[in-house]
Amino acid sequence: MSQVFIDIGSTYFKVAQEGRIVQHFRDFNKNIYDDLNSKCADTVSRYAKEDIYICSSANGGLSTLIIGLTNSFSLKYAINIAFNSGINIIDTVLYSKIENEIAPREIVDVVIIVGGIDGTSGIFDERLLRYLDGVHYQNIVYVGSSGEHAFFKKHIDNIVILENIISGKLKIEEEELKQYLTDLYQADIMGKEDIKQLYAITANQIYSTPYIVNRSLPQITQRLDVADPFIVIDIGGATTDIHYSRDLVNDNIVSESGYDRLVFKKLGVYKSRESLVHTAKNNEFVFELLEHLNVTENILEEHSETATRILMQLSIFLVLYKVSKHHAAYIELKLENLNSIVLTGGITKMLSQEEAEEIILFFYKKILRFHHTPTIVLDSNYEIWTYGIKE
Amino acid sequence: MKVVTGVVGNDIHVVANRLIDISLEERGFEVFNLGVNTYLEEFMDAVIETDADVLLISSLNGEAEGWCRDLKILKSQYDFRDVTFMIGGNLGVGEMDPEALVPKFQGYGFDLVFHQIDLNEGLDQLEAYLEARK
Ligand code: B12
Repeated sequence: MSQVFIDIGSTYFKVAQEGRIVQHFRDFNKNIYDDLNSKCADTVSRYAKEDIYICSSANGGLSTLIIGLTNSFSLKYAINIAFNSGINIIDTVLYSKIENEIAPREIVDVVIIVGGIDGTSGIFDERLLRYLDGVHYQNIVYVGSSGEHAFFKKHIDNIVILENIISGKLKIEEEELKQYLTDLYQADIMGKEDIKQLYAITANQIYSTPYIVNRSLPQITQRLDVADPFIVIDIGGATTDIHYSRDLVNDNIVSESGYDRLVFKKLGVYKSRESLVHTAKNNEFVFELLEHLNVTENILEEHSETATRILMQLSIFLVLYKVSKHHAAYIELKLENLNSIVLTGGITKMLSQEEAEEIILFFYKKILRFHHTPTIVLDSNYEIWTYGIKE
Repeated sequence: MKVVTGVVGNDIHVVANRLIDISLEERGFEVFNLGVNTYLEEFMDAVIETDADVLLISSLNGEAEGWCRDLKILKSQYDFRDVTFMIGGNLGVGEMDPEALVPKFQGYGFDLVFHQIDLNEGLDQLEAYLEARK
């Protein structure tokens, strides 16, 4: 018996059945359920509820604030798990500096607190409680040393306490927190009227799209013409995600999936266009790049189709730059070792294979001083998510 | 007692690191081995997360000086009063005056410094030092 997969994005629905993907532009005057029904009622009615699988990135996902004891372990592990669960990180706070930190203004869906291997204690104190007084949060979870459980139970109402994400040997333990965050996302979309209605047509859990894409990665080399190690760059309207294999990092993180996700919230070409332009203007190589593309700086202020295409090329360049060794950020990928780069998301509708290759070659020559690039695969049909959606 | 250990900087000489891990275990320490290629910040963070008693850094390829200069700054950012800082291996490059190396690394903030000194001798001295500190 065959199945149908549906991805609900912020700009379109994608419906995949029997290897074919059809896209429909969202009609924002209708709610998601009615819109989907008006476009695909026929398709949907041909499948049993058990055979309909849905993922969604339409509601923007959950936001988190992470408070951790050190950069190299607590914060790094929690950031990693949050990204891989499809959660957006609003801010991170290093506990030793908490007294100088200003609480975020927006409502935080979940605060994550972590520190210490099991058995250590005396880590957190009133400084944490004072800071939390200023934070507007919906959920709060503690995933650090068991030696601090009593403190948290005593002082913070409704705190959820889970297994430590830092193992006794300082390695990452991601399962419980990942499950919790995925469930929270689930509860969040259940709470959203728009998505809740979709359970009328599916008997399966509705997941976040980034989580599904992450689950697809182990299968990509069998499905697309891609060789390990590879990265997937998903450039959308609001954010840019990069999924990469852990072989590309020098790191002490060892976990099951073997793939991680990193999100750049400010490099999208539509919703976060302003900040993309700002980042571009501050990059020392951008003028050379614009010259190489035969355009001037003025293009960044235009609103034409050419301008959007240039911005898309820029965002590919900036994402690669940000994970390269020239930019000390959260993570550095060994881009020299890459065999393939897969591009997916809205960007594949606009950019041609040549345009993508041109920009990546510029990056490899200019920044890495290489004369060739990895193979570049455009997932123009936006297939990748379909590999990971089925149980 | 808990010991965080590893090889500092871009140093990949792994043999001593394995021996240190085994020897410490045999002497009854709880070992957190960060392996080769470890930065000073990671060592300090591991000490904080594990609440370790000792940080034992080794350096074989001659990079130690460059990596350990900032120890004082990092030590001032957290309360490390109860931690013993120790370093050993080949701390200089080429024909350095060994006499000058020990005070130099002590000046960086290490309590125990062993340049080209046998591991067991170093660990004996560590145990004596910890005993005296009690
Ligand atoms: C094997 C080896 C390599 C292998 C390493 C393989 C591996 N993954 O481990 C390879 C070929 C990769 C290599 C590369 C290099 N090496 Co090399 N290497 C050696 C060699 C021959 C043996 C090291 C070894 O394993 N010894 C066995 C272990 C058990 O002994 P040990 O490392 O000395 O450790 C003992 C003591 O030092 C001590 N100890 C160590 N840490 C601590 C800590 C404390 C607290 C205490 C008390 C004691 C202690 O206890 C250990 C057991 O007794 C030594 C020369 C030698 N004979 O020692 C050079 C040597 C260490 N290498 C050296 C150099 C310069 C390099 C390179 C820079 C060469 C180059 N130009 O490319 C690179 C650096 C690579 C890098 N990024 O780190 C120099 C370092 C010179 C210096 N510091 O002044 C040495 C000394 C050779 C020399 N005489 O010039 N090397």
